[in-house]
Amino acid sequence: MADTLDSAPSPYRGLTFVWILTVLALFPILVILGFFLRALQADYMTKLRPEWFYAVMTLHGLGMVGTWYVGSMAGVSYLLSRYVKPSVVISRIAFGATLLGVVLLLACTLIGRLGVGWYFLYPLPLHSKGVWPAWATAAFLGSLGVFGVGWTIWSLDLLRAIAQRYSFSAAMAWHYLRGKQNPEVPPLVLIVTVSMVSSLAGFVAAVVLLVLYVLELLGGFNNDALLMKNLTFFFGHVLVNITMYLGVAVVYELLPAYAGRPWKTNKIMALAWNTVLFLVMFAYLHHLYMDFAQPQWLQYLGQISSYLISVPAAVVSIFGALLLVYRSRMRWNLVSLLMCFGVMGWAIGGVAAVIDSTVAVNLRFHNTLWVPAHFHTYYLMGVVLMILAFAYYLGEQGSGIAERQGLTKLIVALIVLGGYGFLMMFYYGGAHSVPRRYAHYPEEVSQGIGQARVALVFISLLLVGLALYLWETARRCFKALSASSASS
Amino acid sequence: MRWSLDSFCRTVTLLLALVARGFAQGGTSDAVGLPDEARYLNNALPDIRVQTIERPDLRLSDLWGDQPVLLTMVFARCAGICSPFLRSLKSTVDRVGGLGLDYRVVVLSFDPKDSPADMASLARHLGIPSDGNWVFGTSEPAQVQRVAAGMGFWFTWNAEREQFDHPAMIAGVRHGQILRLLIGGTVAPVRLREVVDELNGGFVKAYPLPGKALFRCFQYDPATQKYRPDWGFLLLFLPGSVALFGTFWIFRTARR
Ligand code: HEM
Repeated sequence: MADTLDSAPSPYRGLTFVWILTVLALFPILVILGFFLRALQADYMTKLRPEWFYAVMTLHGLGMVGTWYVGSMAGVSYLLSRYVKPSVVISRIAFGATLLGVVLLLACTLIGRLGVGWYFLYPLPLHSKGVWPAWATAAFLGSLGVFGVGWTIWSLDLLRAIAQRYSFSAAMAWHYLRGKQNPEVPPLVLIVTVSMVSSLAGFVAAVVLLVLYVLELLGGFNNDALLMKNLTFFFGHVLVNITMYLGVAVVYELLPAYAGRPWKTNKIMALAWNTVLFLVMFAYLHHLYMDFAQPQWLQYLGQISSYLISVPAAVVSIFGALLLVYRSRMRWNLVSLLMCFGVMGWAIGGVAAVIDSTVAVNLRFHNTLWVPAHFHTYYLMGVVLMILAFAYYLGEQGSGIAERQGLTKLIVALIVLGGYGFLMMFYYGGAHSVPRRYAHYPEEVSQGIGQARVALVFISLLLVGLALYLWETARRCFKALSASSASS
Repeated sequence: MRWSLDSFCRTVTLLLALVARGFAQGGTSDAVGLPDEARYLNNALPDIRVQTIERPDLRLSDLWGDQPVLLTMVFARCAGICSPFLRSLKSTVDRVGGLGLDYRVVVLSFDPKDSPADMASLARHLGIPSDGNWVFGTSEPAQVQRVAAGMGFWFTWNAEREQFDHPAMIAGVRHGQILRLLIGGTVAPVRLREVVDELNGGFVKAYPLPGKALFRCFQYDPATQKYRPDWGFLLLFLPGSVALFGTFWIFRTARR
């Protein structure tokens, strides 16, 4: 943990502003796309062809997942530079690759109207049935390839930076398991190490997947759908999990300064995050519960890993955060509030995820709105809030603009009320068997229309809160940025 | 830097062009002309009239009423796949067993010129006894069309070759409903045993569809009714192993 709020100036600072401002620019656009999806489901645009729903859903889903992944990577890279030296050049390359990938993604979804969903389940991308042109699939696979290359290099670089100061056993905090405290390893370093190793595995899975796609296109044979689905979810699930963990790493690093207490690595924390590294590779199996061709022992493994993985990461971190805040002289401001609500969202989304990862429940909830409900909870009300907290923190440092308590409360209230209201409609729909990914709800599940309409009201509240937040954060960021470039 | 950016852009463009070319060549997983099984499963076949040399007034329901049926369509004058296909079917049926107990085989001609006698001589030519377990017959052209449409079978006359173009396939039918399609000129015992299992109430969780698959996760063995990992399963270990080895390598080299 860094003992002061003010971070040492680092070469990373300017670049981190660029990353974070990009994330802050993309986020409202992607939320508006989400609003559009819900508006279609609310039957407000009956004339629009459903293809638009799927194209926008793909852009929204992949856009959000990517945005928050890079947002959390930018956050941890910046904070990590307190202890080690990540490369600025590599971060720039990752930024370039991200921009190129975004352009390709925009082209294939908005021009090509490719609607394969964010995890492009095989063999859908190869069977457009005339809905989208061949170049759109090629551009889509190209965009994934470009993201993959840029982000893999970035992950490797963070590992390299850590490796230059810590041995592998130290970075994994194995000495804590043996009861030793030296060398001291900040939780940030431990969590980032675990996350980067896991994300490398995820990216390798994506590479294998893309190679199999390209081989099928060029070679004229089929792929095994079960293998493709396993690889897809290995990659997709790990990416989502890692984003969450990186957000939590930011909280581990920043929250203590607001609580006025240290949050140090200990034996339990070390054990917890080491277990995560192992379990994160198997938890994805819960996405294949309904695939009866998957052998039963893998289904058991999926259920057990999904249950177990929530204990080390979530329970240890959530209790840790509660203990940190309990009876502390907490300095409540937008950063600490958003981080605490972020941890809360993670807990709620986690419980909803564990419920859904129970085979008997999944039988009912599979592909209902419960699924977007749970992952929107730990994303929107979890990691997003954590990274929004980081963005505000970044602007707060060096901008010198005083915070207005009333406005802070209003922002948090609007975001939390709007966010949970929007999510409640997903949960309610899921519990009543309203299917996910329907552009227009048919007669049998027409109750989904009313739920979507209520959701729109809450999304509007959230958007107002977000606009206020963006105004407050962006002006701080710009001021801090110009102050730091003037001083340098 | 400029050169590398250029070459990077060129490489990406080349890759995209290659992939797009793959599409243009129709390199999708659809095997050309073969029916997509998923579209025909559980279809109820029309109960048409069939003429055989022994029984001129038979209905399909007479055949599938008391026993599941393997239904296939051929034509007697075929100079191509029909005879080798029927030979393969016969030898596989002999190997798998259960004919007459678990199922019977119905071979229906789709050629309007074929008569019951032509079909009977085709059976004789292949050495297949006409004992009620193998039924070789014909029907009205319009009726045949209905059955063909119901099971995804097609045939077109090629005037130049004076032959029909058509696939080789079998429909596994229980009480008039399609439970499985077996597609391809060679009938593998493994696949036929699965179909027979399924026709008799068994549940086969997975089986390969036509077309060559590169790596499979698991292979289902109908003899033991168990799955065994196949080459594709090893691919699932690749991400974790590469990540771990890569990490060890980074930690070893970075500190030097
Ligand atoms: C207020 C903000 C948001 C709104 C209004 C919104 C709305 C939606 C809607 C309506 C859907 C389609 C649901 C369905 O399956 O029927 C969806 C899907 C999705 N959303 Fe959001 N969303 C929001 C925020 C987020 C965030 C923060 C993420 C973070 C990653 C996210 C990621 C996704 C993903 C991955 C999908 C699934 C796409 C697919 O099925 O391929 N969304 N969203």
